Amino acid sequence: MKYLDKSIEEIHSLLKKKEIKPIDLVEEAFERIEANKELNAYITLNKEEALKKAKKLEEKEIGDNLLFGLPIAVKDNIITKDLKTTCASHILENFIPIYNATVVERIKQNDMVIIGKTNMDEFAMGSSSRTSYFGAPKNPWNKEKISGGSSGGSATTIAARDVLFALGTDTGGSIRQPASYTGIVGMKPTYGRVSRYGLVAFASSLDQIGPMTRNVYENALLLNVLAGPDEKDLTSADKEYEDFTRKIGKDIKGMKIAIPNYFMSDIVTEEIRNEVEKVKKLLEENGATVDYVDMKYLDKAVTLYQIIAMGEASSNLARFDGIRYGYRVDSPKDLDDLYLETRKEGFGKEVKRRIMVGSYLLSGENAKTYYNKALSIRDDMKKEFDKVFENYDLIIGPTTTTTAYDLTDPMDDPSKSFMDDVLVIPVNMAGLPGLSLPIAFGKDKMPIGLHIIGNSFDEATIYQLASYLEKKLNLDLNPRKDDEHV
Amino acid sequence: MSNYIPTIGIEVHCELKTKTKIFSDSINGYGQMANSLTNVIDLGYPGTLPTLNKEVINLAIKAALILNCKIRPVMHFDRKNYFYPDNPKNYQITQAETPIGYDGYVEIEVDGKTKKIGIEEIHIEEDTCKSTHRGTKTLLDFNRAGVPLIEIVTKPCMESGEEAKLYLEKLKELLFYSDVSDCKMEEGSMRADANVSIRKQKSEPFRTKAEIKNIGSISNVKLSIEKEIKRQEEIYDKGESFPPQTRRFDDKLNDTVLMRVKETGNDYRYFPEPDIPYVHITQEQIEQVRKTISMLPDERRKTYQKLGISEVNAKKLVQNRALSDYLNELLEEKIDFKTAANLLLGDISAYLNKMETEITKTSLTKEKFIELTNDISNETLTSKNLKEILTTIMESEKSISEIIKEAGIQNITDNTAITEMIQKILKENQDSVVDYKNGKDRAIKYLMGQVMKESKGSLNPKMAMAILKEELNK
Repeated sequence: MKYLDKSIEEIHSLLKKKEIKPIDLVEEAFERIEANKELNAYITLNKEEALKKAKKLEEKEIGDNLLFGLPIAVKDNIITKDLKTTCASHILENFIPIYNATVVERIKQNDMVIIGKTNMDEFAMGSSSRTSYFGAPKNPWNKEKISGGSSGGSATTIAARDVLFALGTDTGGSIRQPASYTGIVGMKPTYGRVSRYGLVAFASSLDQIGPMTRNVYENALLLNVLAGPDEKDLTSADKEYEDFTRKIGKDIKGMKIAIPNYFMSDIVTEEIRNEVEKVKKLLEENGATVDYVDMKYLDKAVTLYQIIAMGEASSNLARFDGIRYGYRVDSPKDLDDLYLETRKEGFGKEVKRRIMVGSYLLSGENAKTYYNKALSIRDDMKKEFDKVFENYDLIIGPTTTTTAYDLTDPMDDPSKSFMDDVLVIPVNMAGLPGLSLPIAFGKDKMPIGLHIIGNSFDEATIYQLASYLEKKLNLDLNPRKDDEHV
Repeated sequence: MSNYIPTIGIEVHCELKTKTKIFSDSINGYGQMANSLTNVIDLGYPGTLPTLNKEVINLAIKAALILNCKIRPVMHFDRKNYFYPDNPKNYQITQAETPIGYDGYVEIEVDGKTKKIGIEEIHIEEDTCKSTHRGTKTLLDFNRAGVPLIEIVTKPCMESGEEAKLYLEKLKELLFYSDVSDCKMEEGSMRADANVSIRKQKSEPFRTKAEIKNIGSISNVKLSIEKEIKRQEEIYDKGESFPPQTRRFDDKLNDTVLMRVKETGNDYRYFPEPDIPYVHITQEQIEQVRKTISMLPDERRKTYQKLGISEVNAKKLVQNRALSDYLNELLEEKIDFKTAANLLLGDISAYLNKMETEITKTSLTKEKFIELTNDISNETLTSKNLKEILTTIMESEKSISEIIKEAGIQNITDNTAITEMIQKILKENQDSVVDYKNGKDRAIKYLMGQVMKESKGSLNPKMAMAILKEELNK
């Protein structure tokens, strides 16, 4: 059984001809997950329910839905009814929600099968998934390496080819950076493209849910399902349905692409810069224009991000107090003790650090000095991007400054860990769509990702370029060559 | 001795009369089973997001209009962060930076003079849940969590408990008559806080203030302010001072008691609510809302008096919204409004009170009421007769004329018939006629009584008296 390595069209056709059933795919996924157990990609498996659902789908007409019956992994900060949602935190370790996130409703309506909840940084706060209460996931390309974060579990399970589809969330690069580290395709859609209802908020003005997949086409297919206005989320954009695969396969002749100089400065390893240069040449040879451009504010993005994200996080995480749900200490002395001890024991170090810094940043006059100021510079940064998009279709650069590093690398320098995301954060600040595409491998045999940034709500053009490059580069992106499992 | 000038500012929290809550579609209701009007949003469940009830914005615009406030064309919400069990998200969504209305006023009458009470701002926010303390336990009812509120803040411009009382009465009347709120202080849908400080002279800067929180009735607002002024005077007169503090009014002690001394720099870490986009209010929307404002109390009183209703009755009518609304439907009619008001406030009110019902639930249609008013004012129906048939009028579908006919109390309006009847009575009471001629006034009253008795009250008394006099003087 190796159905899950086939193309989506092949799987669909097998299902349609009734040569296989959805339950075959689900069972295969669980076998693979079991074989890859040490990667620690999952916090909770949904085996019983998934098999039941697959069985039920046998009675249903498959139609033309390419996603019918396919297993999908969901990051554990997305609310799933009756299925434990922990946010990789002790404070929600046994939290079983009573409603579904809008995206979960949508994948269910499209007859996909939720296979489990993936590992992540606690409350999505981190860049290596090592702040998870359940231990870090491991990179399928090298188990000594991180998978990145915060959507490390989703990246891991896709890279390991357990399943074809996963949901990630991206506040400051948390889809794209792990996608780059693990050699998969990860898209952070435009802010507002996908409903945030049911995403446990980290930084509300930056958070966005997006698809993580093994290739570009499947990524666009999943975004077709996730995207769309939602009256439950006032920040979701009023954009009607569009087919994100529609530009896939189109030529890129005449396309105008910009590379900000900052993205190719010495903050990025020479090896990665060279790979991006190669892509630049390839594009130029095929009729695209690629120019280096200067952009202001990019170097300020991390600072702004820290202020905005931590400020919002300190407020968003206030609701975890042990009163209505989640972990609560035994017999607190009084109300203050209940709050203090519950949160002290319930949250991990990094989360507490960010809550404290965030509270400080919003305290007294600081809100004006820091948060409001950051919001205004953020508007300027958005305008800087707008200026580039007046003349260019897309912006490209490396997704990360290095390839995935060792799991044992020290974690004690928090500001350094934000530097992992220095290239991806500006996209969140500007609310733009961005995708990471594997373009090469480093000397350490670890994947290197290209970051493709589009104009607001122009995900389709990003997919056009990504799929073009994917086809041209034709990389072997399956780490499981010798068929380790089964 | 003490001769201080008090300065008082009032903050009013007022629940808006919407169908659903401000940020979710849970029902906005009172007196239901605990936690039956809640959903995941009201409970601050992880992952939930607020939606925004448009009705709330419209009611807040309305409040701003009737309080003569300026309305902000672009506004946003802010988060007020603090930990308390009645605050499900541990932040409250409110408006700190861009209150929807600002710079307004309310007019009150103080000792016959009009005084403007300045309104600093009106802002929108969500109510907290209700906590009940039972021994060491606290019970939480989230039915109230997310109920829309407006907070109305005055400028520090009142100088006595009496002014505060007049302001609150006026405010309550305005909000009630514009359907912004129920204004039921006993149910907590209107709650008042008073800020009180005193000083010797207006040139002197404000001294320390005390805030009296959550006062449960308008009369207690007055009382607690007066007690608080006295308390502060006594402290200053002793040459002492006191720290800024929050107090509450204790019904049993009939005085204010200390709740807590205010800590310096209460830090709510306000920042703009990122889950709700900026709200734009157009002039068109404001005009739409303006059209929905029904006639306000001052105008009602003025209109009624212009129509000949006494000042006392005009005030009484406005105190009874249902009757005032009923009367307002008739303002274009050509009827005697003095009679109409007397009817509404007299026999009809008595009936409604006795039956514990409302005028719109009775069979007294507008047409019927007009007919009734006319019958009374042109004296074809006496008030004595009205009392006999009132229940039928209020409860049957028949017209007034039909009811009168069926009750057999046809008024005798035929002069000849009356004359004949009076002549007969005079013949039977010759003694009284003689008494009358001898100048005994009592005699005519007696004779009139006999006439009314004979006619079973169905005579128009004025007409009967005229004919009686005529016959006696023949």
